[in-house]
Amino acid sequence: MIEALQQTGFQRVRVCNFFTSFSGTTKEGVARKYGVQGANFIAYKAA
Amino acid sequence: MSIACPVSLDREKLKSEVRATYAKVAENPHGEFHFHRGPEYAARLLGYDLAELNTLPQMATAPFAGVGNPFMMDALPSGGTVIDIGSGAGMDCLLAARRIGPQGRVVGIDMTDAMLARARLGAAEAKLPQVRFEKADMTELPLDSGTVDVVISNGVINLAPEKQKVFNELFRVVKPGGRLQFADIIVGTELSEDARNNIDLWTG
Repeated sequence: MIEALQQTGFQRVRVCNFFTSFSGTTKEGVARKYGVQGANFIAYKAA
Repeated sequence: MSIACPVSLDREKLKSEVRATYAKVAENPHGEFHFHRGPEYAARLLGYDLAELNTLPQMATAPFAGVGNPFMMDALPSGGTVIDIGSGAGMDCLLAARRIGPQGRVVGIDMTDAMLARARLGAAEAKLPQVRFEKADMTELPLDSGTVDVVISNGVINLAPEKQKVFNELFRVVKPGGRLQFADIIVGTELSEDARNNIDLWTG
């Protein structure tokens, strides 16, 4: 994701926060198996 | 996260499945799904303010199915233009509208009719006329180039079979100096071909 955003032209791309968004759902095991979690991203277009 | 849809996966079928899944959420947000919904989830796992969410119409909050919190990163500019990609029932749009104020503009983009209907009713009930909702694909936004201050989104870009096209389109509409601040899922391991072709995993 970060690489794709950078290739598009966005700058200062970074992940800011992580979330256990699938905790307690029926997909919790699958999420854990594949390391799936929610994340916040920020990316800027040059001025 | 894989950036491209596997060649063998039918992209139109994937879009259709996504629409069908989220139409069901819109029609029955308290039904059985393999992802969380609603304001209590948003507060408990994602850091939203439950007291603030409880001031919004349930029409907008009950079907919320985001995976993060795009408001944690930076304040939205007062009077600015914000778009929400995959706005669903509009909860994040209403929060954004309060933050930018009456001189600003929020445009929610979604491709599910049932969600758009809920979102429009919710915005009217919340008395936030600076919000409007448009039906569109996130690869073809109904917006002029360089007109958007901030793009928000919450758990939606991962549903797009062609993510690079989405990023190109976002780059087109964002103003110079503007930004994306969005939440989405990340995958910690390389997915097998079988997993990448599993449409159920994509639609979740």
